[in-house]
Amino acid sequence: MDDAGIRLDVDEHDTPAEVDAAFRTLRRVAVWHFVLFLAAVLGVPALSLTLGWWSGARIDGGMSPGFAMAAFGLYVFFLAVGLAAATLSSAVEARMLGGAHDDTTEAGTEDTP
Amino acid sequence: MTAAGATALVALVTALVLVAWLVRPRGTSTVDFYLAGQRVGVATNALAICGDYFSAASFLGVAAAVYVSGLDGVWYAVGFAAGFVPVLLFVAAPLRRFGEFSIPDFLGRRLGSERVRLVSVGVVQVVILSYLIPQAVGSGITWQLLVGRGLPGLDPYGTGVLLSTMFVAALVAFGGMRGTTWTQAVQFLVLLGALVWLALAAIGSGFRYPEAVSDLSATPLANPVPGPTGWELHAETDQLDPGTAATFGEPGAAYGPLAQFALILTLVMGTAGLPHVMNRYFTSPTGTAARMTTVWVLGLAGLFYALAVMLGTAARRRIADAADEHAWLAALTTDGVLRVPEHALPVLGRLYGGDIGLAVIAAGALVAVMSTIAGLLLAAAASWGHDVYERHINPRATQRQAVWAGRASTAVVALAAAGMAMVLQPDSLAPSVPSIVAAMVTWAFAIAGSALTPVFVLAIWWRGTTAAGAVAGMLTGGVTSISMFVLGMLPVGPGIGETLVTPTLVAAPLAAVVCVLVSRATRPPDDVDRQWLIMHGTAADRQAERLAHLTISSLGRGRRDRQKGD
Repeated sequence: MDDAGIRLDVDEHDTPAEVDAAFRTLRRVAVWHFVLFLAAVLGVPALSLTLGWWSGARIDGGMSPGFAMAAFGLYVFFLAVGLAAATLSSAVEARMLGGAHDDTTEAGTEDTP
Repeated sequence: MTAAGATALVALVTALVLVAWLVRPRGTSTVDFYLAGQRVGVATNALAICGDYFSAASFLGVAAAVYVSGLDGVWYAVGFAAGFVPVLLFVAAPLRRFGEFSIPDFLGRRLGSERVRLVSVGVVQVVILSYLIPQAVGSGITWQLLVGRGLPGLDPYGTGVLLSTMFVAALVAFGGMRGTTWTQAVQFLVLLGALVWLALAAIGSGFRYPEAVSDLSATPLANPVPGPTGWELHAETDQLDPGTAATFGEPGAAYGPLAQFALILTLVMGTAGLPHVMNRYFTSPTGTAARMTTVWVLGLAGLFYALAVMLGTAARRRIADAADEHAWLAALTTDGVLRVPEHALPVLGRLYGGDIGLAVIAAGALVAVMSTIAGLLLAAAASWGHDVYERHINPRATQRQAVWAGRASTAVVALAAAGMAMVLQPDSLAPSVPSIVAAMVTWAFAIAGSALTPVFVLAIWWRGTTAAGAVAGMLTGGVTSISMFVLGMLPVGPGIGETLVTPTLVAAPLAAVVCVLVSRATRPPDDVDRQWLIMHGTAADRQAERLAHLTISSLGRGRRDRQKGD
C-alpha cells in the first residue's frame, strides 16, 4: 500500500447486514473447526481405551501410536487447526466487511497529492 | 543455599526488577495500568500470555504428572495446550473488539447489567484464588529445594510462599500491565530456555525417548506412599482393568474411562474462562491481532508441553538409575522413585548440571510461579479496582485513585493466597493425586470452564443471551462444579471420585442449558444490534490499522526529512 494514500478521516463503519452475514459465516467456520478439534482431542484417548494396538503397538524404537500422538502429534494438530481457522476467519472478514467503503478509500487515495 | 543457587536467585530478581523499571507506566491512567495502552504487539503478547499461562502446574506439574502416572499424566499437557483452540475459535477476536477491562466488565456491559458484573466478579475471584494458591505452593516447594532455609519463625516452604508472592505483588503494583507484559515475556523465554537446556542435556547424556517409554512400560508402575513403617513403594492399579497393574505407557494409572475425558474437557473448557489469560486479549491493538496472537500461543504451547512430557519421562528413567549413585537422592526417594513428584525437574537438573543445573531449573520454576502470580494479581486488581471500586464504591474516583485501588487489591489478594498456601502442606496431599500443583490448578480450570466459559461464549455468539440468563448460568456452573468437588473428595468409590473432581463435563452443559432457558424467558438488552456491530464488525480494527500505518509512514517521512536536512 502507498503510505501517502492513507487517510485518517475516512469514516470506517460496517452495516448491520454486512456484520450479520459475516457473523454467521464466522460462526460456521468456528463450529466446524471446533467439531474437528473435539474429534481429535477426544478421539486419541478414546482409541487408547478401545483399540489394543493403539497402546500396545510399538513405532520407531518403542513408543506406542497413542503415546506418540499425546506426546507430539496433538500439539501439531492444534497449531494446524488454529492456523487454518485464523486464516479463514481473517479472510472472511476482509472479504465481507468494509467492502462497501472501498470507493471512499480509493477516492482518498486519488485525492492525495 | 549453594553459590549457584544464590547467583541464580539474585540474577533473576535483578533482571525482573530491571525490566519492570525500564517499561514502567509513564502515566497514571487505568487504560495504561490495566491494559498497557492497548498497544501490545502479536509476538510480545503471545510470549506474555505464555508467561502468564505456563505456571507451576505446567512447569513442575505436567512433568510431575507424567512422572507419577505416565500416559494419564500426559492428558494434563494435552488439555492445557488444547484450551487455546476454543479461545481462538470463539473468544479472542470478538472479546478484543468489544474492548473492556476485564471479564466482569465485558459481561456487565454486553448484557447491560451491574448484577451480572458483580456475580462475575465473585466467580472471577474464586477462580483467581483457586489458581493463586497452587502457584504459591509451587514457589514454596521450589524455595525448599533451591534455598533450603527460612526466615526467623518460618520454615523454608512458608518463606518461599511469602517472599515470592510479596515480591510479585510489589512488581505488579509498580509496573501495572505494561511492566507485567514485558516481565512475563522475558520470564517465558527463561522458562522455555530452562526446558530446552534440560532436554538437550538429557539427550546428550544418552536418553532415548521411545526406548525409555518402551522400557518403563515393560514393568508395573509403582509410586511411594506413606505407610505405618515409613514410605513404601505401592504398585498402581489399572483403573481401566482393576485386576491388573498399571503401566507407564498405557492409560489407567490415575483415571478411569470417564475421568480421562472429564479431565481433558475440564482443561479444554477452562482456559477460555481464565481471567488472567483473557485480560491479556484486551491489550491487543485489534481483534485480528488477538486472533493471530493465539496462533502463536498454540505453537509455543505445543513446544513447551512436548518438552515437559519428554522430561517427565526422562526423570522417571534417569532418577531410578541414579538413586544408588547419589547419596543426596536417598532423602528424596523410595527405591529410586521420588516421594514428591514435583521434584522431578529440579532433581533432573541437578543430575545433569550439578548445583548450576538445579539452580537453572529452580529459577525456571520460580519464574513460572511468579509470572502467573503476576497475571492473576493484575486480573484481581482489574476486577476489584475497576469493576467494584470505580463502578460501585467510588464512581467519581480520579484515575489516580482508581489505579491506587488496583494496587491495594494486589496486596490484599497476594496476602490471602500466601496465607492459604502456608496452611496447605504439599507433602501431606501428594499421594492422593498425580501432582498436587497440577490438580489444584485443574480445580480453577473446572470452576472457570463451568461457570464462566459457557456464559462467555453464549454472550459472544447468541444475541438472545440476557442478564438473568447469564447470572443463572454462572451460578449453576459455579455451584455444580464446587458441589461435585466436595463430593469427589469423599470416599465415593474408585473412578467416580476422579470424575467428580473434574466436573466440567456435567457442570458446563448444565450452565449453558440454564443460561439458554432463562434467557428465552427474559428480554435481551435493547442495544444488542449496536453491540453486535462492535463485537463482530471490523471497523475499529480498520481504523486502528489505518492509524498505525499513518504513524509509521509519518515516522519514516520525518526520518527522511532529517536525513535530507543533514
